[in-house]
Amino acid sequence: MNQAEVSQLMSKLRIRVNPRHKNLKQPDGPQGRLNKLRRTVNALFKYERLELNYTLADETRGYAERLISEAIRHGDTHKPTMEMADYWIEEKQLIHKLFKVLVPRFNDYKTSYTMLYRAPKAYPDIVFPRSVLELRGNPFPAILPQRSDQRNFIHNVLLDEAKKAYRAEKYEEITKSLEEQREE
Amino acid sequence: MKGLVALRSIKNRLCTDFDAFCRMILGQTPPPALSFASPIETLKPSIPALTNIERLFGDSIFWAVPKHRRSIEKRLKRKFGCIDDFYKMLLPRTDLFTCNQCGHSYQRRHLCPNCYKRVKDETTEFQEVIEKELGLEPIEQEVVVLYKGERTKQPVEEFFKGKRIIELKREKPSWFCRNLLQRTTIGNSDAKDVQPSELA
Ligand SMILES: [Zn+2]
Repeated sequence: MNQAEVSQLMSKLRIRVNPRHKNLKQPDGPQGRLNKLRRTVNALFKYERLELNYTLADETRGYAERLISEAIRHGDTHKPTMEMADYWIEEKQLIHKLFKVLVPRFNDYKTSYTMLYRAPKAYPDIVFPRSVLELRGNPFPAILPQRSDQRNFIHNVLLDEAKKAYRAEKYEEITKSLEEQREE
Repeated sequence: MKGLVALRSIKNRLCTDFDAFCRMILGQTPPPALSFASPIETLKPSIPALTNIERLFGDSIFWAVPKHRRSIEKRLKRKFGCIDDFYKMLLPRTDLFTCNQCGHSYQRRHLCPNCYKRVKDETTEFQEVIEKELGLEPIEQEVVVLYKGERTKQPVEEFFKGKRIIELKREKPSWFCRNLLQRTTIGNSDAKDVQPSELA
């Protein structure tokens, strides 16, 4: 088996994957952990933006990315992928969403399919860190503000040039009017 | 030698007569203790010296007494804490920044609380509307949420072709910056003059 075929066997995720899984301490043990992750993956596909504890969000992210990646690579006619989707998605209308909405949306993406932000916390509170997990391209208002203040953005460059041209015109007008006054 | 003899005599007197010793040191006798002529008490057998000492240790202040000297490192650590782990002194925080959008302060590498709260409120409302609208049917289209009055504009239907449009019953909040529907050019696009407006 050569190298190219090996790379085809696995989905290459575009996120950092932790070397070890998180236990997500549960009364039901490892099965409870899986159930919790399933619920969260399901909720992520349903709501597209969630606020979770950081550990849970980070752990869920990998599973969601993997599922989307598999769906993109194999499509909905691949049996193992469909079984995987059936296991991870509890509300079955979301399986349609995975293959008919998310796959076309993420097909051309060169980045990760999800985003993870650290949620703010009130200063003196000592709490577990919270985070916001979302699918990219969701219909909600953007979490990070649009960066319109960068000097090198094309609209800012154009605006600067326009300002310069406008000022030069104004200065010419002023000098002309001053000369006219002197002549009088 | 004389001193030794004097010391010995003092010791003897101390052992025999405490009052005399007090008179010698303090120049006066201790006040006489109150005494009651109680018949019951006199009938009690005298307590042996050993149990007396036990009782003294049992309910007295001699319980917890430091046995060893606490080292200077331990004392300082109790006082100030550990610099890496649990520092008790107040330190200035250097990881707070001011948000470029709203001016509130936020922690480094975290979301701004004020901006995030606005987005969060809007998001939960969107999610409720979308969930109610879609229900249990299989989801086969992307969803777009529009505010009141946005749908009547002409290019909307073409722009969101193939997407499911859900309308909210209120106006768009002013801070919502994703302004896809605003026209970028006004009037004829053949005009070549570009004039910035509202310049100081
Ligand atoms: Zn802000």
